Amino acid sequence: MIRLENVTKSYSTEIVAVKDASFDVAKGEFVFLVGPSGSGKSTLLRMLNRQDRPERGAVWVAGRNIVDLPSGRIPMLRRNIGNIFQDYKLLLEKNVFENVAFAQEVIGRPQHVIRQQVPAVLDLVGLAGKEERLPNQLSGGEQQRVSIARAFVNRPLILLADEPTGNLDPATGEGIMRLLDRINKTGTTIVMATHDQRIVNTMRKRVIQLDRGIIVRDQARGVYE
Amino acid sequence: MFSRTRYVFRETFDSFRRNATLTIASIITAAISLLGVGLTLLSQEGFDNLLSKWEGGVEMIIFMRPDVTDDQRALIESSLDQNNQFIESWTYCDVDCSLAERDRVLAAEPGVKDLLNADNIPTQYKAVPTEATDVQLLRQVSEAFSEGPGVFEVVFAEDQISLIEQLQSFFGFRLFLLSGFLLLAAILLIWNTIRTAIFARRREIEVMKLVGATDWFIRVPFMLEGLLHGVIGGALASLGLGIWNSQWTSGVQGFPPNSGFASLVVTSGYDKTVMLYMLIIGAVAGAIGSGIAASRFLDV
Ligand SMILES: Nc1ncnc2c1ncn2[C@@H]1O[C@H](COP(=O)(O)OP(=O)(O)O)[C@@H](O)[C@H]1O
Ligand SMILES: [Mg+2]
Repeated sequence: MIRLENVTKSYSTEIVAVKDASFDVAKGEFVFLVGPSGSGKSTLLRMLNRQDRPERGAVWVAGRNIVDLPSGRIPMLRRNIGNIFQDYKLLLEKNVFENVAFAQEVIGRPQHVIRQQVPAVLDLVGLAGKEERLPNQLSGGEQQRVSIARAFVNRPLILLADEPTGNLDPATGEGIMRLLDRINKTGTTIVMATHDQRIVNTMRKRVIQLDRGIIVRDQARGVYE
Repeated sequence: MFSRTRYVFRETFDSFRRNATLTIASIITAAISLLGVGLTLLSQEGFDNLLSKWEGGVEMIIFMRPDVTDDQRALIESSLDQNNQFIESWTYCDVDCSLAERDRVLAAEPGVKDLLNADNIPTQYKAVPTEATDVQLLRQVSEAFSEGPGVFEVVFAEDQISLIEQLQSFFGFRLFLLSGFLLLAAILLIWNTIRTAIFARRREIEVMKLVGATDWFIRVPFMLEGLLHGVIGGALASLGLGIWNSQWTSGVQGFPPNSGFASLVVTSGYDKTVMLYMLIIGAVAGAIGSGIAASRFLDV
């Protein structure tokens, strides 16, 4: 599903964010990217949906090298990839339903599909009954659930999560992890950047560890070190 | 497709509402500049009307009496031909031609216009002098013609044209320059309004890009917004021009007859053409302003 071949990305001559990274992620896998702040986790995720481009190496996603993907084809790539973030990136003046529906509207899904799929995904993430709430009328965990619903409503092949529990207390974070695990079990590949030791150690998934842009460990059913 | 159209219009009008002050400013600027363009075109057409009898380098007109005979005309024509060292070419404007000219030039002076009819309108010989013939020389040549049989009077361009042309170029150039600057200001304001609108929605745009909206899908509402600014400006300018032209028309009717100003009134549907131009120029200006803003500020 994802393959990196000797990927290097630097922001300037001094700052090499990712250095010669290579790994494979199979369909349906759940992978943690771990490492201290500034080790290149976010940069790596951003190269998977062409928010960033490496200057060397190849990035294969769903069978295509996306490094030289023409910009006109990027939207189609992104329709196969869901994104969630530490700060949720919800639209504050839209309610829960509208936030999720937005992801379908802007790629031209017809209204009848939206009316059917948005309630279903809100049900899946445990927000049934809160459709009319605005983001600031929700807890942090609930807001992250809205953002997961938005990322998942178009049934992407891959979900990229950048520190999704970073702003949440441990109990709420665990709830989010159970939800991501459920989504992973539907066959969605998940790559999640985190530096939350507890979460990594309880989930027991594959762990890729970065240190100053270099992959120093790639371990199945790993723990945080 | 329906959902998409609805989305575009919802976004566009949302943006109008949120950005009301800037939107109104750019529409007003667009309207004023387009009105300037329209008035320039209209006044130039008016001056052209006024000058129409001197078209094609005609410098001297010999007006013939309405009761001129064929013999008298033949005499005039042969002396025009004989004077070919002074007169390059000439044309005869017969009764129909003169009536047509009357309709154009006296459009706003119906009283005077109706006094001239097929039986009493003077026909005209319009003469183009050779390069070497200056006005003084032409005047001497004309002495002979004004004495000629069947001649009503001889008129020189020099006396009438220069003032009109001075006025035309004075107003034309300055109005045009002014409206050009205003149009540039309108484009910049539309550009700035759209840029602000894009900035105000940067979170939405970020999300749209992440979920795979196409660039065009993101751009179209903004471009439509700018286009609408221009078109609304053009519509307001058309309204202003319509009011201006009707007031001018009634104002001119109060001027002394034959003062010449009457031909400055533009009828014949040219005012409608100018309105159409203003709408088109407005749309183009709006599209340029918003197009540049949308392509510059929506890049990934
Ligand atoms: N847009 C950017 N411009 C310049 N440097 C950046 C940019 N984004 C990240 N970096 C640098 O790249 C390195 C890796 O950053 P990042 O991928 O955000 O790490 P992490 O997500 O692991 O904290 C850091 O040194 C960071 O300062
Ligand atoms: Mg990061």
